[in-house]
Amino acid sequence: SPPSPDRPPGPLSLPPLPGPREVVKVNNYSTTELKNACDDAVKRYLSRPELFQQNHQHTDVRLALGWLSVFVAGGTGLYGYKVEFEQSKPVVWSNFVRRTDRSFSRYMLLTFTQTLYSYFIEGDIVFVGKRKTFSKRIITERITLSSRTIPVSSSSSNSTPSSTITPPQYSLSLSYVRSTSANKSLLAKGKTQARAPYSRFFDAEGGMDADAFERWVGEVVEEGMGGLPASKES
Amino acid sequence: MFTEELKAFRRLGFRHVLLQALNFASVIASGLMIWKGLGLITNSESPIVVVLSGSMEPAFYRGDLLFLTNPAAERYHNGDITVYKVPGADIPIVHRVLETHDGKSRGSSPIVQRLLTKGDNNEVNDIELYRGLDYLERKHIVGKVRGFLPYIGYVTIAMNDFPQLKYALLGGLGLLALVQRE
Repeated sequence: SPPSPDRPPGPLSLPPLPGPREVVKVNNYSTTELKNACDDAVKRYLSRPELFQQNHQHTDVRLALGWLSVFVAGGTGLYGYKVEFEQSKPVVWSNFVRRTDRSFSRYMLLTFTQTLYSYFIEGDIVFVGKRKTFSKRIITERITLSSRTIPVSSSSSNSTPSSTITPPQYSLSLSYVRSTSANKSLLAKGKTQARAPYSRFFDAEGGMDADAFERWVGEVVEEGMGGLPASKES
Repeated sequence: MFTEELKAFRRLGFRHVLLQALNFASVIASGLMIWKGLGLITNSESPIVVVLSGSMEPAFYRGDLLFLTNPAAERYHNGDITVYKVPGADIPIVHRVLETHDGKSRGSSPIVQRLLTKGDNNEVNDIELYRGLDYLERKHIVGKVRGFLPYIGYVTIAMNDFPQLKYALLGGLGLLALVQRE
């Protein structure tokens, strides 16, 4: 679909950063490290000042719940250390809730909430961003990126005896919304998904080709934003 | 080895450092809470103990790991192997119950029992160890032995005798947790 004239600049229209880049080195055999390196690169790339402003809500919730449960555990430990065991769980056979019981269940509650949040609400999301641009009117864009690793898979076709092995791939999904200020009217909406093998961005020693990766991410984002502008077709 | 990690920290920002520190802290926190939870379930102050002396041979040897519970609603009987702590002494003692004298307990009030213990490998009973008391009460008992694992306790004995080992282990684990991600 042809891009609308209102379309704010996408990441590919930005010039690359001047100066030498730090080379990220990872262990090629660990898909966790590969994915983390790609996720970090996505965050760095899209939080450039001309692009999106990152929303740290998921990270902050995880930090808050996590550190809170650490302090509850620490407090419980200290209390148990200072107070005799029998006193810390008053041996009163009544409805009095035992002190250690209470902090224990607080901890369980926090851990449980953390797990639920991380699984259901955060999920695969790696970047949530927002941008406001001022052309004829204030345009608000919201973008959410999730990623996961597609593991090595070997598929053997019935007709031929040989099997093809696909290397591990990085799958990036994106959802994008563009609206006028205060979400009064929807200008564009897009959902894209793309995948590329890790071998495309990492060399044999584990060094990451940041430029190639950013170009690829830029293409996915531009596609989600509603196609590339005619002048920038490659 | 560290320059890579330090560069990564600077590049990834403050939140990332907090997240990594949280990884480390929550490993310790969950270990602590699992221990506390075990103590609550077993009703025992220290549900896993290490045998330090040979006073219960040939049943238990130095270095054995013992698993305890302390059911508040059950009476202890002669022959039960208990771990107790005499007030004023730090070290828990593992010995067998020789005599029990049961008191009357009504309804839901805690069970009243007086116990006398003796180590299997000792000549005399434990009165000398009671520091002035004539008998033990239920509140002195840490728990009753339910099961054991041989030799495992030597790790704890080694860490107590050589504290450097303990700090080295903790330090190594901490470092690992700080630089690894998820």
